[in-house]
Amino acid sequence: MDSTSTRVPAELERRMDEAIGHYPPDEKRSAALPLLHLWQEHFDFINDDAVTWIAAKLGLQPINILELVTFYPMLREKCAGKMHIRVCRTLSCAMAGSYQVMENFCAATGIQRKTAGDGIHAPISVSADGNLSIEFVECLASCGTAPVCMVNDKLHENVDPNSVVDLSENRESRIVNRPEPHPLEHRIIFKNIGRKNWKTDIKTYLDDGGYDDLRKAIKMSRTDIVNEVKTSGLRGRGGAGFPCGVKWSFIKPDEKKPVYLICNADESEPGTFKDRYIIHEDPHQLLEGIAISCFALRARTAYIYIRGEFPEGAKILERAIEEAHEHNFLGRNILGSGFDVDVYIHRGAGAYICGEETGLIESLEGKRAYPRIKPPYFPAVLGLYMCPTIVNNVETLCAVKHIIAMGGAKYAQLGRPNNTGTRIVCVSGDVERPGYFEIEVGKVTMGQLIYEMAGGIKWGRRLKAVIPGGSSAKVLRADERFKLKQKQPDGSTIEADLSIDELPMDFDSLAAAGSMAGSGGVIVLDDSRDMVWVLNNINEFYAHESCGQCTPCREGSLWMKKITERMLDGGGVTEDPRTLKTIGDNIAGRTICAFGEACAWPTQSFVEKFPEEFARHARKSIPPPLPPEYTPEELTERDHIPTSPLARDPGWEKAGADAVI
Amino acid sequence: MAEEKSNAHSMFNVQVDGVWHQFPKGTRVIEACAQAGVYVPRYCYHKKLSSPGNCRMCLIEMGMPRMGPDRKPELGADGKPIINWMARPQICCAQDVAEGMGVRTNSPLVEECRKGVMEFLLINHPLDCPICDQAGECELQEFSVEYGAAGSRFLENKVKKPKAVQLGPRVTLDDERCILCSRCVRFCNEIAKDDVLGFVDRGSHTVLTAHPGTRLENNYSLNTVDLCPVGALTSTDFRFKMRVWFLKETKSICTSCATGCNTLIGTREDIVYRQTPRENDDVNSCWMCDYGRLNFKYLEAENRILEPKIFDGEELTSIDWKSAIGHAALQLRQFSGWNIAIIASGRMTNEELWLTRKIADLLGVRYIDIVPRFGEGDDILLSKHRNPNATGARLILGLDEGPGAKLSAIAQAVRSGEIRVLLALGENPLNLGISAEQLTNMSAFVAMDILSNAANEHATVLLPASGFAEKRGSMINGKGRLQRLNRAVRPPGNARDDWEILRDLLQALGGSNGIYMIEDVFRQMSAEIPPFADLTLSKIGDLGVHVMKVDESPRPPTEPKAKDIEQAEKSRPTGR
Repeated sequence: MDSTSTRVPAELERRMDEAIGHYPPDEKRSAALPLLHLWQEHFDFINDDAVTWIAAKLGLQPINILELVTFYPMLREKCAGKMHIRVCRTLSCAMAGSYQVMENFCAATGIQRKTAGDGIHAPISVSADGNLSIEFVECLASCGTAPVCMVNDKLHENVDPNSVVDLSENRESRIVNRPEPHPLEHRIIFKNIGRKNWKTDIKTYLDDGGYDDLRKAIKMSRTDIVNEVKTSGLRGRGGAGFPCGVKWSFIKPDEKKPVYLICNADESEPGTFKDRYIIHEDPHQLLEGIAISCFALRARTAYIYIRGEFPEGAKILERAIEEAHEHNFLGRNILGSGFDVDVYIHRGAGAYICGEETGLIESLEGKRAYPRIKPPYFPAVLGLYMCPTIVNNVETLCAVKHIIAMGGAKYAQLGRPNNTGTRIVCVSGDVERPGYFEIEVGKVTMGQLIYEMAGGIKWGRRLKAVIPGGSSAKVLRADERFKLKQKQPDGSTIEADLSIDELPMDFDSLAAAGSMAGSGGVIVLDDSRDMVWVLNNINEFYAHESCGQCTPCREGSLWMKKITERMLDGGGVTEDPRTLKTIGDNIAGRTICAFGEACAWPTQSFVEKFPEEFARHARKSIPPPLPPEYTPEELTERDHIPTSPLARDPGWEKAGADAVI
Repeated sequence: MAEEKSNAHSMFNVQVDGVWHQFPKGTRVIEACAQAGVYVPRYCYHKKLSSPGNCRMCLIEMGMPRMGPDRKPELGADGKPIINWMARPQICCAQDVAEGMGVRTNSPLVEECRKGVMEFLLINHPLDCPICDQAGECELQEFSVEYGAAGSRFLENKVKKPKAVQLGPRVTLDDERCILCSRCVRFCNEIAKDDVLGFVDRGSHTVLTAHPGTRLENNYSLNTVDLCPVGALTSTDFRFKMRVWFLKETKSICTSCATGCNTLIGTREDIVYRQTPRENDDVNSCWMCDYGRLNFKYLEAENRILEPKIFDGEELTSIDWKSAIGHAALQLRQFSGWNIAIIASGRMTNEELWLTRKIADLLGVRYIDIVPRFGEGDDILLSKHRNPNATGARLILGLDEGPGAKLSAIAQAVRSGEIRVLLALGENPLNLGISAEQLTNMSAFVAMDILSNAANEHATVLLPASGFAEKRGSMINGKGRLQRLNRAVRPPGNARDDWEILRDLLQALGGSNGIYMIEDVFRQMSAEIPPFADLTLSKIGDLGVHVMKVDESPRPPTEPKAKDIEQAEKSRPTGR
């Protein structure tokens, strides 16, 4: 380890050893990302010394670490400025002017802006004096207050593109005040978010009846808890909407291997920003949900995989975990139940794919977040460290607490059948009052959400389209009609013909409308939006976030982005819309994980639903590449190949057509 | 009966393209398809490595039996289960067969999937087939024939990646050709236990590489070249030497250690261009080491002996074969018994050793031995015993005290003058403590060898022999497996196959007649040597036959002293 020229201070190494202690002794590799974070916090960037030093520290090969440094965009190999600004580039922020933020900031501070990096990641532009640096990053999960930037570790919301210089002068977070709950909301999980005099410390939480549900749960049998969750009909809030109780019941009650619970706090679907608020403003609610779930699943270890772009959230959670330990809600023999549970924070480093549960598990194991094939690697059977593992979203785990509080049956009465409970819907884009709204699932329509709760379309414009469940959901056109089968109270089914405003906000209705409720991120587009521009922004996100493991998504996502980019630059050819659609068709359903669908659905739906706009951008006709003389089919079927007389054989010509040779 | 029952239990009925087959439990679907006669295209899957399922080329339609209310499969009119087909295509490289499973490998959806993946793989590929070494054995080319498009729809700039990267001393990488199947990464990690390769960057910009401070230099690095389905990893040695479709491939074995890896020798017009491993699960799986693979250059060494020669009192002069054999026989016949020593070699084939024994018996030779050869071994394939046929030598020459046991006695007897005639077969007496002066003082020193060296320039008769790729015969590897060498190229100049030289010498000495073909030699051996009973050269087959347990062998080889090892190693022909 002495071969490196960089000296690692004792304090840093002590913190690294502490981080290594968060993982089983045989799984030190898991500490790779934490160590890289610690290194970068101390030395500002990851050089080759870091790679070899950390590899040696963890008993790995240097390539194992290099693979991570280049995979996760938050880890940088070159020095950034003393003040480093990350500007969100993704859809809601781009619509609110983040590109102007970038341009104006560079112009005002004289930073030479780099436009292309060496690889897939956006380049970091550093000022001449090395004091300032700026880069584009993908979604920072604060779409409701777009555009947003991170100045070092602090979030700046609602940045004014026209007065950007103060970004570099203000080192404190600029958080916008939250509005009061809307009357149509039904707040359970978000009860404390934006609440007056609410603090994140445990005292505030306990004064409000906090951890009573954990006390209740540890007196219940584990099967009872699982059954309550089953009865509640709770569906996962991360995006796929899988029934939580069913997922939990995959864990055998007599499981011999250790069981792990992972809280998926890698919120990164563009348009979604709900988990951020739970983590930042009500961390103990999440911890209580985790403790109850761990108890029910016999999971003695839980990891909260929090996205790297939430450094403050990670600190708040760490503090909350300490407090919970002090009160014996976590740790040894919690509340005298004889059950031990440890919760650790594991920070990601800017990879959307870590939101996919098996990608997350690989990342937590200290590898590139390549999703695993299922079968055989179903997390509940072969998950973290090949042990049974349950991965649940932040909101889902919070809902567990409330299911214990009110009972599964009562929870199931909220919302609609098969779409029970409440869920947090995040509205961003071209609305007057973007933000989060906790609604009973299906009890609010899209129209109510956009026009009543979110205040309608900005500047009196008209609605053009809605992306209802995070940017990967298929777009819905404002003038579409949706034929939905609806169950009547008497049990009969009728087919309702609904406008977009009448669509109920629930899993089944949005699925029937040809899209999905996904992660609950509703992005509203007004009639001034160029759909090719919007799709290109989305495509750029997915091309950047494709992990690159399997062929269709790796190659297809970048190809689609290149096409939409060319169309925007005026180089669109008439074939482009068709090509785009077939690329999408060739990706969706043919990849290891659901990212294939996530990157294909926007393209498929945009091209299908806005053909006139795509045609407008695709007017050029290219001289088609010279067709091959014969197609492969013709070549294999000889009859198709016309025989021509030998050009320079006079004898042939003389002999005429009847000649026999 | 019990066995039959358990067998019946572990066989699964699987429908492949409409026809029901039975496969044992644990069969991969992709292998089951192969057994049913359907080759499913694949890039990332390799049966000896883990399955990441990343290339998506092997997507097929899959289904499971439809279950009735009684939880039993519903049967159709044909009495077979009705299959519920899954809506999405599935990869068949990572799943095992299950009872009642259905597989469709030729449906329109499957075809469409393959065409889609093919297009994706090629959009950023440089399409530099005319100058690519893999051309002719490239799986991109192969599956393009069936699933490729005639033209490209890709109008964009291709992703730029590093070219001609020296990953290590023997492997060159072209990242633009790489399809990121990860076979090489998995091989290094899982088989070579040397985790040096990995992917950096992300998405379509992902690049295969090694950490700048480490190199792909393990002794198995060239297997990654074999594994690479495209032209990304190429052998620095073979690169740009020969278009592969001109190569004639001869099945043979590697003779660089006692493992005897099965090989294919790629040749054109009597020149060996490369050796690649040939699958044999009883010996080398699908791999071989770089050391053995590249150890063929000496066949074309400058100092190759091309003519039979005799010492005419002043110098070695070329002579015809008949005279050379005659001289050798004459010189050997001057003495008998304790006055003659034969230094044979553990690199000789069984047939050669057999004829050597016949010669020794005829002359009553007692001083006969082979030279042990040791090097560093590993836990993978490379054996520390570097003689490919020491087992055969112990068996055939009857070296009861173990190979090499008599060498010091022979050297002593040479020094004392007891030994007057020395017959060295492919070994260098100078490495055994015999000096050049002692060699020149011999009455006769008959040497049969491939390369000229400091010893055989003192020979009274020098017989040019053949290298491993130039001859036929059999060897027994360190684990007692009898395997065949095959002639891939003709020996250069007037060099001859060793067994023929020895046969002629034996006949000139008045020994047995009636050996016309190498098969005759083997027939004689099979009559007299119990492990070879009932075998013929052709019965050995391409994969060899296990003929003896190693502990049955007369005696394990004696460990020589470090000095002996060093000397023996020095004598290893390299030609490089």
